[in-house]
Amino acid sequence: MKTFNVWYITSFIISLIVIIPVLTVFSSYFDNTSDYFKLLKNTFLFEYISNSIILLIGVLFLTLIIGVSSAYIVSFYSFPFSNFFKWSLILGFAVPPYIYAYSLTAFFENYGTAYTILKFFLGEGNYNTHIPKFDGMLGAILSISFSIYAYVYILTRASFYFQSNNLLELGKNLGFSKIKTLFKIILPSARPAIVAGLSLVAMETLSDFGAVDFFSINTLTTAIYNSWLSFDDLAFSNQLSFYLLIFIFTLFIIENFSRRNAKYHSPMQGGFKLKEKIKLRGLSSFSAFFICFIIFFFSFVFPVCQMLYWTILYPKNFFDLDIQNLFINTIILVSISSLVLIIFSFISNYGNRISKSKFLSILTTISISGYALPGVILAVAYITFIAWFDNTIINYLEIKSIKKLFIGSILGLILAYFVRFYSLSCNGIKSSYEKLNRSIDESAYLAGYSKLRTFIHIHVPYLKSSIFFVFILISLEIIRELPITLILRPFNFETFATTAYIYASQDLLEAAAVPSLFLVIIASLFILFISRYILKEKYE
Amino acid sequence: MRLLSLIAILFSLSFVPAIADGHGIVNVYSARHYDSDIQLYEKFTAKTGVKVYVVSGKSGALEKRIIEEGGGTADLYITADAGRCGAFKAKGMLQAGLSSDVIKSAVPKNFRTSSWVGIAKRARIVYFAPERVTGAELAGLTYESLADPKWKGRLVIRKSNNIYNQSLVASLIKNNGKKATEAWAEGVVSNMARTPKGNDRAQIMAVAAGEADIAVANTYYLALMLSGKKGAEQQEAAKKVKPFFPNQDGRGTHMNISCAGLVKGAPNKSNAIALVEFLLSKEAQEHIVNNTFEYPMIAGVSPHELVVNMGLDFKQDLKTKVVNYGKNQAAAVAAMTGAGWK
Repeated sequence: MKTFNVWYITSFIISLIVIIPVLTVFSSYFDNTSDYFKLLKNTFLFEYISNSIILLIGVLFLTLIIGVSSAYIVSFYSFPFSNFFKWSLILGFAVPPYIYAYSLTAFFENYGTAYTILKFFLGEGNYNTHIPKFDGMLGAILSISFSIYAYVYILTRASFYFQSNNLLELGKNLGFSKIKTLFKIILPSARPAIVAGLSLVAMETLSDFGAVDFFSINTLTTAIYNSWLSFDDLAFSNQLSFYLLIFIFTLFIIENFSRRNAKYHSPMQGGFKLKEKIKLRGLSSFSAFFICFIIFFFSFVFPVCQMLYWTILYPKNFFDLDIQNLFINTIILVSISSLVLIIFSFISNYGNRISKSKFLSILTTISISGYALPGVILAVAYITFIAWFDNTIINYLEIKSIKKLFIGSILGLILAYFVRFYSLSCNGIKSSYEKLNRSIDESAYLAGYSKLRTFIHIHVPYLKSSIFFVFILISLEIIRELPITLILRPFNFETFATTAYIYASQDLLEAAAVPSLFLVIIASLFILFISRYILKEKYE
Repeated sequence: MRLLSLIAILFSLSFVPAIADGHGIVNVYSARHYDSDIQLYEKFTAKTGVKVYVVSGKSGALEKRIIEEGGGTADLYITADAGRCGAFKAKGMLQAGLSSDVIKSAVPKNFRTSSWVGIAKRARIVYFAPERVTGAELAGLTYESLADPKWKGRLVIRKSNNIYNQSLVASLIKNNGKKATEAWAEGVVSNMARTPKGNDRAQIMAVAAGEADIAVANTYYLALMLSGKKGAEQQEAAKKVKPFFPNQDGRGTHMNISCAGLVKGAPNKSNAIALVEFLLSKEAQEHIVNNTFEYPMIAGVSPHELVVNMGLDFKQDLKTKVVNYGKNQAAAVAAMTGAGWK
């Protein structure tokens, strides 16, 4: 068999590594759960599921409104600062939901920052009862929505941008008002993009751990974690994961499908006229500005200011924090992981390219499913698998235990990140690899280049910019990542995310502000680096 | 090839084992991750030359990792609440060995077993708003009487998944039995001023803000707020509530501990014991009480001034052994959730 080469084997191994946690979850589905807490579970299961659904509906609703309206305004109209908002509206990404949750609580709690502000301006008084409380479910919905609405914004905006001007003219010719054009023409044709954005939002919402844990809301994800920890019931925890995964995989399929449909808006398909943005004046110009400003304010300025305020108010926390150390740890994680991820994505993509094997491409599809696995479940499944592997196979072979190598080590962290973020990296490389014409390969072979040489000297340099893009995307995910790092990290090893979480869990929100602030600043810089890729306005 | 060597270095970095094995170390899994604890470990290292490796996190996740690692790594498990140490012991994850003379003479019997010992104490008490709660109403208040209908709509307390509540309810089960405690939990739930949310400090602030008249919370939270570490507003809020120590006419106020447990299969057992002994020394105890506002575990050390001001002459419950908190934990959770305690 000719296709049975090194590329093939590597792709196979990658898929195997990624699929193991998924299989671990599914295989335990049929284990018996202990009936010790059976009664308790039956009462709780309904609560978990209904909480997950309420959270999901709330976040989908908010992100739909925020994401689509901001994308619409920014894409079709020009008004003061419209170019600024175009990219600043994606900065919300830099604030992970759990950090947003800390800020929200800090500001609105009894005797919180809102109280301080009111007291400063209005003098003494009990304002606490008048300050709205954004905690519990409402708090979680807001935190998650403002942190990830950008998925909807980015995809919808891209779709709006490439919407052919002809469609708009059609609306005009039909005598539609602006509103009618929006609802009858613009939105329906952007639907695949909106759906794709919303399914990403839904996946992230269902897998969120930090924010819902902070507000102590029992969702399926926290329930999985808790039943694993406190009930010591891995089988039940895996059964819950099973339900959750089915849910998430459905979304995953919807997202992939919608994305494919979204591609139909290609400027290549004839008659594309770049549309002129409509210049707004007066009140409508102000309203457009105001809406964008409010969204930008709540998604980014508000949490950053709250953290900044705390850092200034309690400077001791700033000086006590070993920032250099956290920074080095972050760099180690980010650089090793992205290196490994990018190398393997290349190998797998290249393998696909030269072998044209159906089986291989199915394997690749399977191996991107890791992204659908919530981090906390992945970490649980990872430990379970290593422990099982060590107790059975390694023990049988009478080799020294491998647990220390894989649990609580950098290697372990990187493996788990690999499973989680492989889809991100693989797809990122793939999308630009596909644009590289195959005839280039043919010419290279004719010129006497070996496959390896073609790969190193032609493909890699050509894909430089997409490598950079993928590198930043991975880095962004890793510095925001919480549950995997928390569960699998080595001794004396903290990142900005774990430090913030640990302070917050000790009721030291003001101390959590410093690492949170650093995390957000670094993430913002990363986002600025890639904003031109995300918001590209012309096809390459 | 500079790039290649960089890649090689990065890869080899990932194989650096998490911990160095050696004689001069001790591996601590701590759910108490105060900066002040880290300073204590540094003092220990300076004194003994034994290096302390720490992995911190929430207790549940740490316990899980210790279990899955299957021994040979963790030496000492430090957490807040006897309920956790007891439950962990019940899983067979702790071993005997913390019974040196130093430890025995430092820690009262009630607060230690052979495999885990208390390193600091706290009481779970009632806070009230003097403006709205009269002395007559409070007279003779017990944990049991929190279920009295006179507190209807006036009480705030945390969720049932909170370990401090679980241990408190476990102690009630030990003293009053399961049936009575289940009825008690229903009474408490019907007295709640709001659906449980937030941490202990949030309960105290709810009373200060007028959302409720009484709250149940641990002692060190009020001192923390009074210290000004949480800002001027919370300092001011803390002055609006007063502490009340329940069950003074009976068995005394519910006490709990921060505890250190010796992990089964600990590779550095003697260093772990030495660290516990150090934590029970006068120097370390003073450091702990001044930073976390807990009560000292050993005699001869005074708590922080703010804690002293809350009153020291209250009767502690020394009758109910803290080991019961772990034993009755499952029943406590069942009683609370059965009563609809969120």
